[in-house]
Amino acid sequence: MSLALAPALVVERSTPMGDAIELVVHHPTSAAAVKPGQFFQLAVAAPQTILRRPYSAAWADPQGGRIGFIFNVVGAGSGWLAVRHEGHELDLLGPLGRGFNLEGARPVICMAGGLGVAVFPGVVQALVARKRRVTMLLGARTSSQLLPADRFTGADVLTATDDGSVGYQGPVVDLLPLTLGRFPSPQGQGRGGGVDILTCGPTPMLQALIENVRQLGLPLESIQVALETPMGCGVGTCLGCAIPRTGGGYLLSCIEGPCVRADRIDWGRMTDAFHG
Amino acid sequence: MADRVDLSVSLGRGLRLRSPVMVASGTFGYGFDAPGADRTALGAIVTKGTTPGAREGNAPTRIAETPSAMLNAIGLQNPGVDHVVRVYAPKWATWDVPVIVNVAGDAVDDYVAVARRLDGVAGVAGLELNISCPNVANGLQFGVDPRMAAQLTARVRAVTRLSLLVKLTPNVTDIVAVGRAVEDAGADGVSAINTYLGMAIDVRRRRPVLSRGSGGLSGPAIKPLALHAVWELAAALRIPVVGVGGITTATDALEFLLAGAAAVQLGTVNYVRPQAVREIHDGIAAYIAAHDLRHLGALPIRPARMEAHV
Repeated sequence: MSLALAPALVVERSTPMGDAIELVVHHPTSAAAVKPGQFFQLAVAAPQTILRRPYSAAWADPQGGRIGFIFNVVGAGSGWLAVRHEGHELDLLGPLGRGFNLEGARPVICMAGGLGVAVFPGVVQALVARKRRVTMLLGARTSSQLLPADRFTGADVLTATDDGSVGYQGPVVDLLPLTLGRFPSPQGQGRGGGVDILTCGPTPMLQALIENVRQLGLPLESIQVALETPMGCGVGTCLGCAIPRTGGGYLLSCIEGPCVRADRIDWGRMTDAFHG
Repeated sequence: MADRVDLSVSLGRGLRLRSPVMVASGTFGYGFDAPGADRTALGAIVTKGTTPGAREGNAPTRIAETPSAMLNAIGLQNPGVDHVVRVYAPKWATWDVPVIVNVAGDAVDDYVAVARRLDGVAGVAGLELNISCPNVANGLQFGVDPRMAAQLTARVRAVTRLSLLVKLTPNVTDIVAVGRAVEDAGADGVSAINTYLGMAIDVRRRRPVLSRGSGGLSGPAIKPLALHAVWELAAALRIPVVGVGGITTATDALEFLLAGAAAVQLGTVNYVRPQAVREIHDGIAAYIAAHDLRHLGALPIRPARMEAHV
């Protein structure tokens, strides 16, 4: 594992949507090493905090040596990160964990709820580069909380908002059956059939997606989930980021994830405790 | 100059560490997962708590950050002693850093079984009895009663020739009484301290953050408490005291060594700064060199007890 322990330099700070912050850091070795869906443990120096904060890379630009992170302020750690500016240094550990498996040629549906979208700009870019057909389903409370469609160049972008301010009014999961109708054989029968679904979002959204997929007769193996859990170390030693595993026991989100095939997770034992 | 300082320390029964900087149980796995940590600066690795059979651990949520600290309720997730002996120990046998296995269980027979299984296994340099885990049923029972702690220590002592540390819980009225009891029962040293019982509540959801309700508190917030326990124990015991609790910097480690600890364990900091092992090792060496003290035995403010084991 190649790990960045040298500081990264913040080269850009912006607000890409709603209250979210995007920090761009310059760290060539990490930008070259990171795969879509992998994460970094960012050190924060807010008073009374001690643990690093896990953030997926939103995107990486290996040529420019840059990595983007998109996040909301939810506590002291993200609050500290939110006031980093151009010229500040960030201590990042990573890239860590397993990213999405992007192999294959089937069409891909990416589904993001809320801040779950933060992982997808780089994922979509990598999928498009692999010549895969990509549909990006974006869900948010309201239009201002949506990442602009131009962050997903090459993908069909469909949106759903709780208040109907743009796109479909209702949960983003409702867009799934409509989207599947565009493909000849989404259940996977026959040559050229099937779709892959990559998703990230709040646990209730994930559970609704799983329920939907079961009803639609799609195999859970075709879904990959980017998990968001509290983490201690990020490298497999603290055992803090346990996720209920199919067949009993737990898998560790930090080393067996954060991107995990949905059939490996025991959804009946998943709680939504992680999204406080 | 700092390279020539003697940082070695003895933990009894031939277990000699080249450095007083150890890593605490549960914060370094079984020594395989921690990237960025410099093993050459390590005195010893203490493994995750190991039980007779494999354990799945507690349901999430297992950890939470609190001011200058964290709570954990992992629940002794581990692969069981057979896996440790078959898969891990042969690899440790090729390492130049000693590995001390932390031994845990629900009953005296569990501890005895694990200790017996590990005795004489190449790659296992010592044992640390975890009589202080707050996160499993009955985990604390042996650690809070001097008589039970002594009985458990004696039973394990009888089945192992390995250096035997006993890790004490601070969740007691008189930690020195427990320390004296395990010393008399044959412990080669004590590790002080394990985590403090604590909790956090999610006010929005109106329920405890951790699935078990409570957990063990570690990190810088508990350092003064741990230091006090070490100070008291070092004055009362003849065997080495290994200081553990919130150590984050070389200055923290030096405080414990000055308080009378023979060695220190780094815990929570391993999650945050993998390079802390090297920094703290070098900081201790530089301090000893700068003060012309030559070896660790010259550090304690009250030196009498240290001379027996350095």
